[in-house]
Amino acid sequence: MAYYVDRNVKLTWWEKSYLPEIIRGMYITSRHFFLNLFGFIPFLLGQKKERPIFTVYYPEQTVKYPMAYRGRPVLAVNEKGNYNCVACGLCEAACPAYCIDIIPGSNPGKQNELERWPDEFTIDMAICIFCGFCEEACPEEAIFMSDMCEFDMLDRKQMKYNKEQLAVSTEDLKDRIEFTRQMSGKWNYSSSSR
Amino acid sequence: MTDILIDLAITLVKIGFILGVTVGFFAPILTWVERKQSAIMQDRIGANRADVMGFRALGLFHIIADALKMFTKEDFIPDGANKFMHTLSPIIALVPAIITFAVVPFGGQYTLFGKEVNLVISDLDVGLLFVFAIASLATYGYVIAGWSSNNNWSMLGSMRTAAQMVSYEVTMGLTIIGVLMVFGTMRLTEIGAIQENFFRWGIFLQPVGFFMFFTASIAENKRIPFDNPEAESELVAGYFTEYSGLKFGMFFMAEFIEMVTIGALITLLFFGAWHVPFLSTATIISLFDFLGATGSNIVAMLFHVGVFFAKVTFFIWVQMTIRWTLPRFRYDQIMNLGWKILLPLSLINIVVTGIIILALA
Repeated sequence: MAYYVDRNVKLTWWEKSYLPEIIRGMYITSRHFFLNLFGFIPFLLGQKKERPIFTVYYPEQTVKYPMAYRGRPVLAVNEKGNYNCVACGLCEAACPAYCIDIIPGSNPGKQNELERWPDEFTIDMAICIFCGFCEEACPEEAIFMSDMCEFDMLDRKQMKYNKEQLAVSTEDLKDRIEFTRQMSGKWNYSSSSR
Repeated sequence: MTDILIDLAITLVKIGFILGVTVGFFAPILTWVERKQSAIMQDRIGANRADVMGFRALGLFHIIADALKMFTKEDFIPDGANKFMHTLSPIIALVPAIITFAVVPFGGQYTLFGKEVNLVISDLDVGLLFVFAIASLATYGYVIAGWSSNNNWSMLGSMRTAAQMVSYEVTMGLTIIGVLMVFGTMRLTEIGAIQENFFRWGIFLQPVGFFMFFTASIAENKRIPFDNPEAESELVAGYFTEYSGLKFGMFFMAEFIEMVTIGALITLLFFGAWHVPFLSTATIISLFDFLGATGSNIVAMLFHVGVFFAKVTFFIWVQMTIRWTLPRFRYDQIMNLGWKILLPLSLINIVVTGIIILALA
């Protein structure tokens, strides 16, 4: 929707004389000032303030991110301790930043055992753009976007996360798995059978 | 001989007190107040991270942290800059701000140990004129700062400073004429003494003059809403773009000390100086008569100094509130306000004051 700024606002005589409007503005700001200033007194007495301040003391306190938040990608590890990943390379192909690097491992010929797995699964977090395409591309519910978003290293080489660093159990990812099923709907036909 | 020595000692104590209050107390504490007050005003928490052994003291340690940072920062002088002028200009900006306090009285006259003590460093006949003469000298500091940095933004900022300070000094001077007419003296101690009578306070005699003087003095100090010379969104940081370390700190300190000066002048001219309504000096001295002549005078002196600086603190608070409430004026709006509204108003103010004085005479 186009938005137009009305640049021809006609001020009334009252507004043009500045002073009343300035005093009105100062009334508003000083009202906030005094409410918050005296709000510290119940806070010091250990009571809850009427007007809470929403600031979060970040490193000590953190905010819970909404489920749709896309932090760094993680690999799901199922109850048996195996990676859900079958090293198909679809996420590697879908990745617009080319940050995923997979070396597959396979187990040909033996039935009823693990057939394919990633030998190496590297994501370079310095390149990753957190788009979530890998999660959408994955046919095996193996890669998910988590709520982890804190990276701090002194060396870029450390930004390359290997599969052990990426591993998160499916138990911890339950909510996100449910969310992706609802969002993309492509697993709906099989969600009961799994 | 001893008289001269005693006078010298008293003057030195007064100079030390003024320096301690302005440079030692107000200038550093105001950096904290500005951050904390704006935070509380905007429903935030504000500076509280610097801690000493786990104590945060509401962020008061940020003053020490800031000072340490200022002292240890690299003192950067740009390549094309005029090094001498570049170093000189912060001093030219800061010194007048402190010197103005030489004639600002912070209390009345008291008899201590049989000696008259006047709580002003230098009781000049032309005190008020001296304040404006010295305060306008600071303009040179800002203009030289902009010019010597060899930076377009600095130059623009200093040009704006010059234009703004010239236009608002006119209004300020003309407003002061109204005040001089009603008080009949330029000696700041006398102006203070006259206001012992509550109904002779400047705000009742010159209500319009107060608002014009306040506006003009905020414009002189180049704070929001008149901060065009250092408008961050337009000129990076205006005239002090190329300054770092303690030189930048001196510009900052000059601004805060000027805030104290403005608060002191407004208190002195319009809000009864060191007096509390309906409580004359003689009343206080007679109330504490049991402490002896010197004791009661000391009580009166401490009380008056406390009242004076409480009022100054209030007006600093008002300036802070204005600074965090109003948006910046556009450049043409500042000039319009200065030349087309405040200047005629101040002239009308003089005429009306004169007519009323004539009618009452």
